[in-house]
Amino acid sequence: MFHHMLMPIRLTLAAACAIALLHAAPALAQQAAEVHLNYSNGAFQPNEVRAPADRPVVFRVKNLDSKAMEFESKSLRVEKVVAAKSEGVINVRPLKPGRYEFYDDFNEKARGALTVQ
Amino acid sequence: MRAGNASGWRHATVFAFALLCPGGAARAEGAESWKEIETKYIFGFTTGSGIGIEGEKEFTVDSIGRFGKRDGHYAATETKFEYEFTPSQFIQIEFGALGSTHNIGGVADLDSRNAAAFAGGFAEFRYLALERTSNNPFSVTLAFEPNVRLIDETSGEHVHNYEFETAVNADVELLRNRLYAGFDLLYEPEVTWTATGDTIREATLGGSAALSLRITPDVLVGAEVWYLRHYDSPTFSAFTGDAIMLGPTLYVQLTPKMFMIAAWNCQVWGREVGNSLPLNLSEFQRNRARLKFAWEF
Repeated sequence: MFHHMLMPIRLTLAAACAIALLHAAPALAQQAAEVHLNYSNGAFQPNEVRAPADRPVVFRVKNLDSKAMEFESKSLRVEKVVAAKSEGVINVRPLKPGRYEFYDDFNEKARGALTVQ
Repeated sequence: MRAGNASGWRHATVFAFALLCPGGAARAEGAESWKEIETKYIFGFTTGSGIGIEGEKEFTVDSIGRFGKRDGHYAATETKFEYEFTPSQFIQIEFGALGSTHNIGGVADLDSRNAAAFAGGFAEFRYLALERTSNNPFSVTLAFEPNVRLIDETSGEHVHNYEFETAVNADVELLRNRLYAGFDLLYEPEVTWTATGDTIREATLGGSAALSLRITPDVLVGAEVWYLRHYDSPTFSAFTGDAIMLGPTLYVQLTPKMFMIAAWNCQVWGREVGNSLPLNLSEFQRNRARLKFAWEF
């Protein structure tokens, strides 16, 4: 009876590993496009950035303020707390063309967007 | 071509929304400045396609209550104590424990009882198959959820029950940051070994449609409808009845890291094979309610 219980869980974990590998392989093979952002006085500079489609994107967010910020985006599906006076690196999957908004989760007014073409 | 179609469709939806709701188009313009929202929990019992964001962790307490049978009094709840995390930008994993309560008296074919118990455990794997972009309002997630129960959901009896829920969770953003539609397809085969040694194999098949309107940045209200079919076999060979459930939904973002949902469904139509009485109160219940609180960290 215990084997009946484990089988679906094993199948689920095997499927999870297989799909994770399928997504990881092409991303590793492609060179990432880097996007540099500064965060100072509670705002992103620049707040509109661009990147090529179908390539991984690496955000390098330099927090110049004296308090921590959280780089977050629902559509990019990433979040990272960047401590004061430090740099955060955020890796994003290859993206389809479109506009992807990001913001500081600690500061409602700090907004920006990535346009992928 | 694809972007053009999506844009035209959105404009048609804006127009329809404006007709149905005076001033709606104007308010929809204001929603452009709102933050994007996670769609997984905005449709009540219907699950949206959202999988969270990479690295996000969440603890939730998710209670579903089922109320009302043909006769007597019937109230049963099942609560999930759930840990949820998103290890990549395409996958979400959840697992946790189940607790249940049963308050049953005078219901035909069910023993009377008043009990609370640890009821088992579950895991869920979600894979985002089609993601929403600014050019494509559709998003689709495939979900697989094995459940192990030591207490029967309906009767409260001690059993060994193994269920493998498979679902397609889809949603579409009809108006940017404002109006969403959700659709689920559900296939839920299960096998149960009872205390008396009987083996019961059954399956539930269903689909839902839901609409959710964001009335403020932190509050969404909506409605959903479910059609559910029950079989006494996992292969759909022994149909026993079906039902339609209908009801309102509510989502409230309480703080940036905490939200709650509430939903209530009432059976508005149903039938049981071999029983001419209205509604299906053998496999399903008269009412069901959901209350969930979640904390992200």
